[in-house]
Amino acid sequence: MDTMSLLMQGFAVALTPESIMFAVIGAILGTLIGALPGLGPANGVAILIPLAFSLGLSPTSSLILLTSVYAGAMYGGRISSILLNIPGDEPAMMTCLDGYPMALKGKAAEALAISAIASFIGSFIATIGLVILAPILAKFALRFGPSEYFALFALAFATLGGITGKNQFKTLMAAAIGLMIATVGIDISTGVQRFTFNTLELFEGVDFIIAIVGLFAISELLFFLERHAGDGLKQVAINKLKLSAKDIIKVLPASFRGAVLGFVAGVLPGAGASLGSFISYTLEKRVSDKGEFGKGDPRGVAAPEAGNNGAASGALVPMLTLGVPGSGTTAVLLAMLISLNISPGPMLFQQNADLVWGVIAAMFVGNLVLLLLNIPMVGIFVKLLSIPPKYLMPIVTLIASVGIYSVSHSALDLYFMIGFGVLGYIFRKIDIPLVPIILGMLLGPEMEKSLRHALVLSDGDWTVLFNSGLSIGLWTVAILGLILPMIVGPIVRAKMSKSKEAVKDV
Amino acid sequence: MRINDRVFGMLMLILAVAYGWEATQFPIPFGGQESVGPETFPIMLSIILGISSIYMIVRPDPDEKWAPVAMLIELSVVVLSMLAFAWAIEPIGFMPAAALVVSFLSWRMGASITKSLITGVASSVVIFFLFNNVLELALPLGLLEF
Repeated sequence: MDTMSLLMQGFAVALTPESIMFAVIGAILGTLIGALPGLGPANGVAILIPLAFSLGLSPTSSLILLTSVYAGAMYGGRISSILLNIPGDEPAMMTCLDGYPMALKGKAAEALAISAIASFIGSFIATIGLVILAPILAKFALRFGPSEYFALFALAFATLGGITGKNQFKTLMAAAIGLMIATVGIDISTGVQRFTFNTLELFEGVDFIIAIVGLFAISELLFFLERHAGDGLKQVAINKLKLSAKDIIKVLPASFRGAVLGFVAGVLPGAGASLGSFISYTLEKRVSDKGEFGKGDPRGVAAPEAGNNGAASGALVPMLTLGVPGSGTTAVLLAMLISLNISPGPMLFQQNADLVWGVIAAMFVGNLVLLLLNIPMVGIFVKLLSIPPKYLMPIVTLIASVGIYSVSHSALDLYFMIGFGVLGYIFRKIDIPLVPIILGMLLGPEMEKSLRHALVLSDGDWTVLFNSGLSIGLWTVAILGLILPMIVGPIVRAKMSKSKEAVKDV
Repeated sequence: MRINDRVFGMLMLILAVAYGWEATQFPIPFGGQESVGPETFPIMLSIILGISSIYMIVRPDPDEKWAPVAMLIELSVVVLSMLAFAWAIEPIGFMPAAALVVSFLSWRMGASITKSLITGVASSVVIFFLFNNVLELALPLGLLEF
């Protein structure tokens, strides 16, 4: 099979000592980033992009590094869920439900080990899914013309709020703001200056990496200050690991189901990892009704954890094949690709086949590394978790600023970063989501280009945007994605918070 | 109270109008007017932003609590300290500037003065040497350059 031989070539790239080194570094950094409360995967990857950039790593190495960080962050998120009952990021929320009770029962080490195995299964199966699905989707996407692409971008924004989104208009507003920032600078096709106010620094537009680091990392620091959360939280002590093969076999079916569901949720637009782990958990509860879910059932740890890691790898499918990310972190990975001058999309699989397959193979390697790292070394990560944020956050902020500074050695970039941080703080206070802003900045130029191509080809006839079956289909999904959450959203959200409250009562 | 969304919606509406108006003022590109010019996409965006900000004004969400004034002042001081760091990184040098800002931040987050000074000095020295010698990204020495 064609895919197989490409994958084998990928392994040839991924198994060079250099790639393995980057995968290991990425896995360790990622686990740390995921484990530290308040950092989260999007944040962590964002901070590392400028560093990878200014170190002059090759595209393959930087992508391997950052995808390992991404995978590692998903692993790490579970550590704080289980030990602190605080999810490192939103998808890890469901892991708290059974993970924390397990830790309270003195089975923290078992919960961590089981979740590591489930995470491995989740990512592993989803990566296989990625290998199968991505080339097919990429081939299919070759049929997309400019008007289909325009519809696809609209769909990406419409579904970004996800089925659980609260206020669709705020998502829309955020997307518009992001796209507006993207229009600043010299217009590519006509050379007209737009919104530059004749400032030289704005001619090239606003660098989205600066915006990402500012919006995520700096605003997080401000929130930490406001909440007086500098002292950190009390964590459950970790016990000695006593895990038999039987215990592992018991959670395997749950992990497999979770992995598949998570993968599907990751691929679909608008679902994402949060929904993936939520569905996996509720399904598991229904399938195996004899368990003690919510009170520390190991299967309740395995299912959502497999689901959330499956979704994380699944989310890479639309990002790599269509250039349309479905989540915050994949948006940040897309930023990485764009800044390396690689345009994702169907052509990626043809023009940069070695890179794509190298990265996919590296995901397999990275996952294995993560599993091996996480079982024996979990104690070290737990120790690091106990460093209070009052020492850690300032250092992280410093590293973020050094990264930004070292890209172009200009203090102006730092002013911009801080400015975006303040904006991010205000946006979060008003409940304006940050991810659509980032996505708008990333996709803006491409979206405008497709609109122009479509309209130039049709000589200014706007109906060209809706004249193929494919584009009508995409528009329909986009409109559904915008309207459905207003109806379904409150119901799903109520269910999610209900299952969360049920645990608090225990 | 639902004042946040109303005020923010107003601001965004002003932005939408200003942005849209600015877009109509673009010079006609070299080569004459085409069916889609540099202003088409921005005008679409200003309409979307306009609609969503009107929705925000008409149907605002309940407010999230703002921090008390004292905290807002403190946050502004923190932001100013970061801006000062950004300004100081070249004339004064990375190490002193970073040591000061990290100590200040960790002190504001609740660490004792000695511990925050240790954090600041240690982290800035370590990061400086890590970047300059291991990763080979030059950071300015500033005053320490002799």
